[in-house]
Amino acid sequence: MNADTFADRLAAYLPVLLHGAGMTLIVAALAIVAGFALGAALLGLSLHRQGRGPLARAVALYVSFFRGTPLLVQLLMLFYLPSAFGVDLPPLLVAVLAMSLNSGAFQSEILRAGLAAVPKGQIEAAAIFGLSPQQVFRYVQLPQVARAVWPALVSEAIDVVKNSSIVSVIAVAELARGGRQIVAANFRPLEVYLTVGATYLLMTGAIFALGAWLGKRMGQGRRASAAVMNRIAINKT
Amino acid sequence: MIDLTLLGQLLPVFGTAALRTVALVAAGLAGGLALGFLMHLLRETRVAALAWIYWAYTAIWRGVPFLIHLFIVYFGLPAVGISMDPFVAAAVTLSVYGGAYFAEIFRACWQTIPRGQIEAARCMGLTRRQVFLRIECPQALRASVPLIVNQTILLMKESALASVITYPELTMTAGKVVSEQFVYIEPYLLLALSYWALSLLINRLGRLLARRVAL
Repeated sequence: MNADTFADRLAAYLPVLLHGAGMTLIVAALAIVAGFALGAALLGLSLHRQGRGPLARAVALYVSFFRGTPLLVQLLMLFYLPSAFGVDLPPLLVAVLAMSLNSGAFQSEILRAGLAAVPKGQIEAAAIFGLSPQQVFRYVQLPQVARAVWPALVSEAIDVVKNSSIVSVIAVAELARGGRQIVAANFRPLEVYLTVGATYLLMTGAIFALGAWLGKRMGQGRRASAAVMNRIAINKT
Repeated sequence: MIDLTLLGQLLPVFGTAALRTVALVAAGLAGGLALGFLMHLLRETRVAALAWIYWAYTAIWRGVPFLIHLFIVYFGLPAVGISMDPFVAAAVTLSVYGGAYFAEIFRACWQTIPRGQIEAARCMGLTRRQVFLRIECPQALRASVPLIVNQTILLMKESALASVITYPELTMTAGKVVSEQFVYIEPYLLLALSYWALSLLINRLGRLLARRVAL
């Protein structure tokens, strides 16, 4: 790592950074998928009994907690509290778990806002036409919700990738950790962290571009997605 | 299971740490709002080169994790002769990071003003500057309040990462208690509750502010 030019050094960093970036993408992808499932489940639970039962309150408390406290704190709690009871969980599992629990809270609110963006009149009209509740969901709500929440989900995916840098704190060998390891060996923090930053920028930029392209193919409803973005932006915590 | 005496002992320690978190977030909020508004003004000038600066700034700062920005500022910049203590480094990073989001909030709120209003005002003889100050600002800034409040909560959560560069705010304080006293439950409980309370407090204050400035 004592090569002369930046290009030489970059060649030396690259394997470590690529390995780290791969781990970042794996952790983030797992958290996004698990977070989506959790978010949908949380929304389902909270809609139980028209959103007035104890279940809805429990979900609201969960969402408020996970959106109101830093991911770093959630991660540290999940990492250290079990060990206080003699249970040692592997860092990678803790990382994916904490990120999924966190993203699930955000995604449940995105899905809730998407569901609210479908006008009530359409659902009533569909029911009058004789569609069963399942059919109303499948053919009336789902396609519109999917289009409406897409930009918000893409933005959440970008946040998850960025947030994944936090799991470097519990020694998961992702991109930020890779950067710290290189710096510990060569004491060139500026160029290494700038390179790490550029790598993150490439990943988040790619997700943004891919999301926009897919969104266009889905035939985005601009007004509905703007309504969703607004709602989740104002209702956080 | 929870040691109440220990909790009582930790309370003042966490109180001090919470004040440090609040100071850091306040500095980041003030700096971020100023920088965000300045960037928004650059974009509003409609000068291509300035708009490009806006675009590059918001894209780069929003596309890279806060932690990496913090590492560049705190560990990287000393290599070019810019050294800052942990508080200043965290406050500066929080300001520049937050500024990118605040700039986008201002942009979005400015876009909600109907073009017709601006054209009408210009027809009535108001200068571009008067239109900005008397037509656009009062409406767009009001609309931005809930979004700014939300972004403040996000900044407050990012501020926990200042613990990584050893600024003794809430998260670092909890870590210190854990490593010195070998207790886990009480400090982490207090830590989570402190942040949760701060979030709810910012949310509540923000709603009051939004109601006050509403037309």
